[in-house]
Amino acid sequence: MSLFDPFHLPFMARALAELVILGVLAGTVGVLVLLRRLAFASDTLTHTVFPGVVIGYLLGGDGGIFWGALAAGIVTAVLLTVFTHRRRVSEDAALAMLLTSLFAVGVVLVSRQTGYTSDLTAFLFGRVLTVTQEQLVQTGVVTVLVVGLLAVLRRPLMLRAFDPEGAAAAGVRVSLLDLVLNVAIALVIVAAVRAVGTILVIALLIVPAAAARALSDRLMVIVPLACLIAAAGGWLGLAVSFDASIHYGLRLASGGTIVLVLVVMYGLATLAGTVRRRVPLLQGGRAKEGARLDEPELEAAR
Amino acid sequence: MTGQAGRTAALVLDRASVAYGDVPVLEELHGTVYAGEAVALIGPNGAGKSTLIKAILGLVPTVRGRIEVLGVAPAHARRDVAYVPQADTLDPDFPVSVEQVVMMGRYRRIGWLRRPSAADRAQVAEALEQVGLSGRARDRFGTLSGGQRQRVLLARAISAQPRMLLLDEPFNGVDAVSQHSLLEAIAALKARGAAVVVSTHDLAIAHLACEEVCLLNRQQFGFGPTGTVLTPERLRATYGGRALELRGDRVIVTQT
Repeated sequence: MSLFDPFHLPFMARALAELVILGVLAGTVGVLVLLRRLAFASDTLTHTVFPGVVIGYLLGGDGGIFWGALAAGIVTAVLLTVFTHRRRVSEDAALAMLLTSLFAVGVVLVSRQTGYTSDLTAFLFGRVLTVTQEQLVQTGVVTVLVVGLLAVLRRPLMLRAFDPEGAAAAGVRVSLLDLVLNVAIALVIVAAVRAVGTILVIALLIVPAAAARALSDRLMVIVPLACLIAAAGGWLGLAVSFDASIHYGLRLASGGTIVLVLVVMYGLATLAGTVRRRVPLLQGGRAKEGARLDEPELEAAR
Repeated sequence: MTGQAGRTAALVLDRASVAYGDVPVLEELHGTVYAGEAVALIGPNGAGKSTLIKAILGLVPTVRGRIEVLGVAPAHARRDVAYVPQADTLDPDFPVSVEQVVMMGRYRRIGWLRRPSAADRAQVAEALEQVGLSGRARDRFGTLSGGQRQRVLLARAISAQPRMLLLDEPFNGVDAVSQHSLLEAIAALKARGAAVVVSTHDLAIAHLACEEVCLLNRQQFGFGPTGTVLTPERLRATYGGRALELRGDRVIVTQT
């Protein structure tokens, strides 16, 4: 299997570029999703962006997809922020019903098209091999904006994720910050929709961040590592699916292959993380040392 | 505002009532805490101790009367007020070092973009020194014991150089060493002129560390010097009688 040759083909090179940019975007936002435990909110967004994609496509063709997804994503991000702050998300049966309904609206609308199954598959699972120059630019712009914004807000975001009450006490406007993050998640989904589809984007958000967290305890390492893992997963996934179809006659959907590669990487990262924590036995030894250090203090306390 | 004997009032409760929306939580609170002094908020669970702390932070509205913090409305005083949450409410898996947690106390001064200066780092080191955890600066927050985490959160508050310190049940489940260290650090802040508000179930700590006591259970059952307010009768009234046990002249809260 070759890791480089396939990317001499222009469409493969564009696909790779798209996945690397998306990796940086999803890796960064994914770490915040992990820290804030927002996997459920992210899942919500993937369900509501789908009808937006379909409506955008029906109204404006291929070019309408981005804007339809964007509108649906931002509306959902706002509603989600409002609901969470009024503690209504706990009514999860109602929410699940709403999400499925919106999803069904998307399916019904797309079923009226002639190329029904092929369109549906494209929206749900993406078509990374047909990424255009224009899409690459859109993804790049979204990535620069989102990563830049999160970098500027990194201190309030971290404080809010670690200690929401302390953040509010320090004067951080928590609801506004939550809106920013929800919109950022929506933008990742919007940016990724045509390349990996609304279903698989959730893996791109969650799996690289979780893998990076398994490997490190430091945010300064976790964020770049998550970006690297996401990008590497995209690259390997593309290479594997290309190789399988060219040399073995196996047609592997690239989106699905990428997700599976990411999951394998997560497995390896967890394994490596466990080994790293167990083998030197330094961590455990240090905790005991800490307990011993307390004893002179105890003397002083008396 | 300057009260008797030239003392500066840090916290003024003036017939204040506090409510979440339409639900009144605390009514008719009245009392003053001066700079350099500490008040213990004492009362059963659900009495409204945490709510009063949030009202002092301006996060819960005062619906009647007035709360004044450092001479201004609560929401305008936040820059000089530091809040210490209960350590066990925070996620122990969060990837953050002890040093980084304490640096959070400096965020308001550092701003969003600037890198922490040498002065910020010195404040962080000094705050950690004060709570006796200098050696643990680079460890992950979650690897520390409960009492040590509580001390880190106090160090975070100290690094903000506050004029008022609010602590929510800081002594719950805390070992003796940490309790001693917390009390020493609180005394140091008071000596520097900061006012301290601390909610606790522990009457011994109120006697040890606080000049004033505020007995709370939805309303005020007493506010004044610790020696005069912490009487068995008033405690029984606050706790509704059943939760107290008298042993000689000592009152023990048996049920929280």
